[in-house]
Amino acid sequence: MAGNVNLTVKLCNLIFKNPVLTASGTFGYGVEFSKYVNLNKLGGFIVKGLSLYEKKGNKPPRIVETPCGMLNAIGLQNIGVERFIDEKLPKLQGLNTHIIANIYGTEVEEFVKMAEILDKDPLISALEINVSCPNVSAGGALFGKDPDMVYVLTVSIKKVTKKPVIVKLTPNVEDIAFIAQAAQSAGADAVSLINTITGMVVDVKSRKPFLANKTGGLSGPAIYPIGVRMVYEVYEKVKIPIIGVGGIYNANIALQYIMAGASLIEIGTANFIDPTISIQIIKGIEEFMNEEDVDSISKLVGVVHN
Amino acid sequence: MRLKIVEKRQVAKDTYVLKVENPALFDILPGQFFMIRINDFNYPLLRRPLSVAGFSNTIDFIFKVVGEGTKILSLKKEGEFIDFLGSFGNGFTINSSKRLVLIGGGIGVAPLLYLKDTIENGYKLKCESYFGFNTKSEVFTSSGNVSTMDGSLGFKGTAVEMIQGDLDKNSLIYACGPLPMLKKLALLCFEYGCEMQVSLEARMACGIGVCLGCVVPTVNGDFKRVCVEGPVFDYEEIQWQEM
Ligand SMILES: Cc1cc2nc3c(=O)[nH]c(=O)nc-3n(C[C@H](O)[C@H](O)[C@H](O)COP(=O)(O)OP(=O)(O)OC[C@H]3O[C@@H](n4cnc5c(N)ncnc54)[C@H](O)[C@@H]3O)c2cc1C
Ligand SMILES: Cc1cc2nc3c(=O)[nH]c(=O)nc-3n(C[C@H](O)[C@H](O)[C@H](O)COP(=O)(O)O)c2cc1C
Ligand code: FES
Repeated sequence: MAGNVNLTVKLCNLIFKNPVLTASGTFGYGVEFSKYVNLNKLGGFIVKGLSLYEKKGNKPPRIVETPCGMLNAIGLQNIGVERFIDEKLPKLQGLNTHIIANIYGTEVEEFVKMAEILDKDPLISALEINVSCPNVSAGGALFGKDPDMVYVLTVSIKKVTKKPVIVKLTPNVEDIAFIAQAAQSAGADAVSLINTITGMVVDVKSRKPFLANKTGGLSGPAIYPIGVRMVYEVYEKVKIPIIGVGGIYNANIALQYIMAGASLIEIGTANFIDPTISIQIIKGIEEFMNEEDVDSISKLVGVVHN
Repeated sequence: MRLKIVEKRQVAKDTYVLKVENPALFDILPGQFFMIRINDFNYPLLRRPLSVAGFSNTIDFIFKVVGEGTKILSLKKEGEFIDFLGSFGNGFTINSSKRLVLIGGGIGVAPLLYLKDTIENGYKLKCESYFGFNTKSEVFTSSGNVSTMDGSLGFKGTAVEMIQGDLDKNSLIYACGPLPMLKKLALLCFEYGCEMQVSLEARMACGIGVCLGCVVPTVNGDFKRVCVEGPVFDYEEIQWQEM
């Protein structure tokens, strides 16, 4: 299978050696997986969502399993951007892959401050902006639900960083392509989708929601057709590259996302079940291309639209 | 790591012993656990944590059927292979200058059996053990002092009631079992000034510290991960009122 297929993907000034990234919140700070995965073989990895200051997260229970999926309400527990740079990034020096920071805030100013701080760090290749969070100034409405807020947020972040800005979209909206267009016109370099889908599980014995947070985000194999459909819709409406995420657990589904319009893909929950899955998926994509005589991955992006 | 089932046997009501071949690649501390993939396909999706109950030429587990995952596991046959990840977690630490007291409730006795074996046969130290069950049909060990709630075997009452009056400052308790039992023990430890290492459970997705799903509240208002900072905690670290 050592065919000469070209897996590289270009996004702005960045060259990814293959289209496989790992999703924020499912891959820790990378180091946790170095026992299982040669990190240099990945296209890149996206670290756990960072906020300006440390966040303790929600009370447990935080997770519950569902058929071929899981709900989580972690509450973005993280050590804060400064400690991330001081304590975690030094351990990631010398890697030959892209490290992408995922950032989260409750005010535009918080996002902007984080983007300024991370812009200075040469180890970070790009920023992924998690807009699935409440905007405190706007009465708690999710940033990601309102195209105007996504626009303002993206413009503000673009002003303070030269690194590529990826806007990570929430699927909990009526028309995701409309939000993607707002991100594009604000100058976003790419969009990634989907984040988790809001759901609830009830514990019938206690007659209460199972999760302490009541609702949680659904992820895992169960959600992949929704993600593929949304990537398909967004591809029809925007020109900037799309990063596909949601339920990918094998090369077949990764390829479905790519054919629907994704230039890169992210693997999330599947890392929990098999920590080596990202590498297997890279191999699987390569095998498919060899079998189907496709010399470059770029030739598969969006082919279902032809 | 795919390991072959050498033995699978029912040992009590809804309770099974599972022994898999030991690849002899690593040591395992008592209290550590493995993440077990129930099926090779995606249902059930998440791996299930099981503590090591014995470690020799086989790695042994004792599990109770409580839901779909453990039900499927109970139907596996000898000779089949199961996918394991681990071992994970910190494990119990042994202090030879103390009076070592093992207190287990129900399936929580499983990891204590490996601890007992390690203390007695590895460290050549003495320990006392008090294992409580609901009723005779659920008892899966003949080791230690056994109690049952209905008195159908051994002492009538809980494991805690068996030992309660006899704890002192020099006792180091190793505990695993249902939450109400652990809370009761935490209160007793405060009262008698004894130490306790307690093994806690939480729903887990990854087992390797990245999903942050398995946390428990600690006294300083923080959370700690059961899979990495646990499953064994010093009882004084835990915010028991919030458990
Ligand atoms: C570190 C650790 C070590 C463990 N060691 C053992 C062991 O040696 N033997 C054993 O029998 N069990 C052990 N458990 C509990 C075991 O993991 C669960 O019983 C099992 O995951 C249930 O899976 P299921 O699919 O059968 O049940 P599900 O259908 O998932 O759930 C059924 C019931 O089990 C409870 N449950 C589910 N997952 C867990 C969990 N992770 N912890 C506690 N309760 C849960 C639920 O509250 C529910 O009431 C351990 C748990 C942890 C965290
Ligand atoms: C436990 C957990 C934590 C997550 N944390 C984050 C996060 O911090 N930031 C973010 O943008 N997305 C987060 N996500 C969403 C994932 O990155 C991904 O978008 C989603 O899970 C769908 O992909 P999957 O089905 O492959 O997991 C998290 C998902 C899970 C399961
Ligand atoms: S199970 Fe994922 S952090 Fe503990």
